[in-house]
Amino acid sequence: MERNTISYKSKQFLMFAGPALILFCMVIIIPFIYGLYLTFTSWDGVSAEKPLVGFANYVSAFKDAYFWASMGRTIIYSAFAVIFVNAVAFALAYLVTSGIKGQNFFRAGFFIPNLIGGIVLGYVWKFVFNRAFVAIGAAFTDGTVPSLLSSTGGAMFCLILVSVWQYAGYMMLIYVAGFMGVSDSLKEAAMIDGCTPSQAMRNVTIPLMRTSFVTCIFLSITRCFVVYDVNLSLTNGEPFNSSVLAAMHVYNKAFIYKDFGTGQAEALILFVVCAIIGIAQVYIGKKGEVEA
Amino acid sequence: MASLSLKGIQKIYPNGYHAVTDFNLEVADKEFIIFVGPSGCGKSTTLRMIAGLEDISEGEFRIDGVLMNDVEPKDRDIAMVFQSYALYPHMTVYDNMAFALKLRNVPKDEIDAKVREAAKILDLEKLLDRKPKALSGGQRQRVAMGRAIVRSPKVFLMDEPLSNLDAKLRVQMRTEISKLHEKLGTTIIYVTHDQTEAMTLGTRIVVMKDGIVQQINTPEHLYNKPCNLFVAGFIGSPQMNFIDAVVNVDGDKVTLTVGDNVLNVPDEEKQVLIDGGYDGKTVVLGIRPENISDDPAFLVENGDHTVSTTIKVREMLGAEVFLYFDVAGTQMTARVAPDSPLKTGDAAKLAFDMEKIHLFDKETEKNLLHPEW
Repeated sequence: MERNTISYKSKQFLMFAGPALILFCMVIIIPFIYGLYLTFTSWDGVSAEKPLVGFANYVSAFKDAYFWASMGRTIIYSAFAVIFVNAVAFALAYLVTSGIKGQNFFRAGFFIPNLIGGIVLGYVWKFVFNRAFVAIGAAFTDGTVPSLLSSTGGAMFCLILVSVWQYAGYMMLIYVAGFMGVSDSLKEAAMIDGCTPSQAMRNVTIPLMRTSFVTCIFLSITRCFVVYDVNLSLTNGEPFNSSVLAAMHVYNKAFIYKDFGTGQAEALILFVVCAIIGIAQVYIGKKGEVEA
Repeated sequence: MASLSLKGIQKIYPNGYHAVTDFNLEVADKEFIIFVGPSGCGKSTTLRMIAGLEDISEGEFRIDGVLMNDVEPKDRDIAMVFQSYALYPHMTVYDNMAFALKLRNVPKDEIDAKVREAAKILDLEKLLDRKPKALSGGQRQRVAMGRAIVRSPKVFLMDEPLSNLDAKLRVQMRTEISKLHEKLGTTIIYVTHDQTEAMTLGTRIVVMKDGIVQQINTPEHLYNKPCNLFVAGFIGSPQMNFIDAVVNVDGDKVTLTVGDNVLNVPDEEKQVLIDGGYDGKTVVLGIRPENISDDPAFLVENGDHTVSTTIKVREMLGAEVFLYFDVAGTQMTARVAPDSPLKTGDAAKLAFDMEKIHLFDKETEKNLLHPEW
């Protein structure tokens, strides 16, 4: 068969990329386009009719104070969670690459929380906050101690804490790869050049782990922006809707309040925010890429 | 600049493996010392102990009389050039060279002057703004040297700095390093497994094997008077020919029988064999390829030191010819003049220059003629 023909090349392309392309279209592109179409309708999520309403859903999404409040909460939650997730993950990675005894055991141990589903994790921690901590608090104070989840600030704090517990192990692995990617001879050269361990970390190790930092920070931001499962099982938005994050608000709007069009429009806004973050990650990551 | 003293240095790993055993060396100021030996002989480990990158298990290491065993690498006033160059990839050439000075809070003007001076010496002036990834192997190597130079340290340590370069560049950089040593007048300790580098660069060479020092001396001494079979075989390219020979003492006449060939031992060498009681025993005869000749005049002069053989392979290298042949089942090499008429398959008569032979004890592998270090 002639190899340099368009039909041969097309067949080759379809053979290798075809299955993945079809799947990608089926589960990403078509639902996305359908979702985009729904933002222009006033569908209630149940009826067969989907009347077109133009940009009315976008107008109501931009006017939805609860949506923007949930977005604000998401930004605050993300800011704290991203800082703590990365700080803890970096510290754990440093610990498990420093040559301590049983470091492989610790690596596996710290990663396990990430394997537990968000729903299960939320219920486990709900029990811990509502029962275990309350019982311990009561034992120490000889009185009744309210659950952290019962106060508005406390619920957000709990969400951040559980997220750190869930994601730190996963991010740790990326930082571990970063630490291991810095050649020993560079660290030794830094020592001979006159660096203390902290100076070597600041001047050599951390700059060379830039890719790990960019990946972890942006990955944790996008994860935090779309968090739903832990939000549902741990606080369910309570108390007084004070812990409703953006994804939960979008879900509630579409499926609880049956305002599918507006919910879908708000979901699209959330998507745009995440897409901007993702593009920024790629841009910043590429810009500062360090090759040996 | 500085003098170094290593006394009874040992490196024993937690699993009990002795990487370096009883290493003793006194290095005078401005010496260019080469550690040479095959892979795994402990030369890099010794260098790393000097640098402070490995702990010294036993023994004392001093720089200018000051004990350094427990001193941090940064406080030893040494600079090191790594095999991989270890340039900081996120810094420019300028910053790589200036980094150590910045850490020591040297004034900016002084840093700039030193970096530019080193860049001038190493012809790096046009590359100061580049990152290491934009440099060739040879340029990277020069930056690594520059990083060491700017600090004006007491001792330069170099761990196989040329092994990542191609053959041509290696020769060029070898000359550059030699010139640099002359110019800076520094004490240098240089690790290599390449005996040519060792011979051409070093004022003294430390030959190591299995963590043990075999011989320490000048390149000429090591070449002409190797103290044992290992040093004799390691120094020199092509390596020295070794062949078993049976000693026959008949009055004051001593001969060596190699297969069907009988070689007369000169007066200077024969006394050692008589005194050592080697009559009837087998020794190892060592002779360098350039001390075997097919020159007709030499053959006439040395008629009683000849071997008859067949040339297996002839290699023409331009300025010289290598002839490969077997004597008593052992392959040997002769380095002869390029106009040698001998070709592959020719029957040949070759003469040994018996004044240049080496004799080694078969058991101890010591050089019977030059047992001293």
